[in-house]
Amino acid sequence: MTIGPDDKNDDDMPDFSDVRSGASSTAPGAEVIQTYEVKSGDSLSKIAKNFYGNGNAWKRIYEANTDILKDPNKIYPGQKLKIPPKA
Amino acid sequence: MKKLIAITFALPVMGTLACTKSEPPPPTPAPITVPATTLPAPLSVTTVTLGTSIGADKRVAAPTETFGAKDTIYSSVETAGAGHAKLRAHWSFVKGEKTAKVDDTTIEFDAAGPTVNEFHISKPSGWPKGDYKVEIFLGDGETPAATKSFKVS
Repeated sequence: MTIGPDDKNDDDMPDFSDVRSGASSTAPGAEVIQTYEVKSGDSLSKIAKNFYGNGNAWKRIYEANTDILKDPNKIYPGQKLKIPPKA
Repeated sequence: MKKLIAITFALPVMGTLACTKSEPPPPTPAPITVPATTLPAPLSVTTVTLGTSIGADKRVAAPTETFGAKDTIYSSVETAGAGHAKLRAHWSFVKGEKTAKVDDTTIEFDAAGPTVNEFHISKPSGWPKGDYKVEIFLGDGETPAATKSFKVS
């Protein structure tokens, strides 16, 4: 189980930052991947802290997104990151 | 002279014909049976059910589309067909024309046949009352394969 993204599309909308989510399948070897849309002020360590409870786990997110991230210190609002399951 | 030439050419031909044995016709080849190649059906979403709990088979045990603030909300998604599957559940809060993303989770797997998958969300501080929906996407498509609306009251 992981902590969900704290997206909020509108100020009038409720806050869903504490949503927890998960998934599973009867298919053998199924892999669960969450996605997170980067917001202004985010960093990989902040996102890792949110999802894994540990900011040092940022590398796990970076390695899952090397197709769109070239530098772990440069992420931009609107980028959709894959969040691998907690190790 | 012309008769001589005609006989000269005709004799070898006749001789050849006379010596040709009539061979039995080749045996009729047995009909070739081509095994029917059954291509696996493409993957599709067959059923989406919402509820407050699931069984070991990943199917919803208590179906409902109205939830309480403290409920864990389960969505059981059944697929048919075979192949690589990328199944995404996009949960949203709906307020009039506006939507707010609640969660987005993807399961990837290789299906050899029918599968049952479950997605679930919970909110320790309680779900705000209102309308919600979960859209199930297959592959990278932008059109949901299935959509289910539900309420928190």
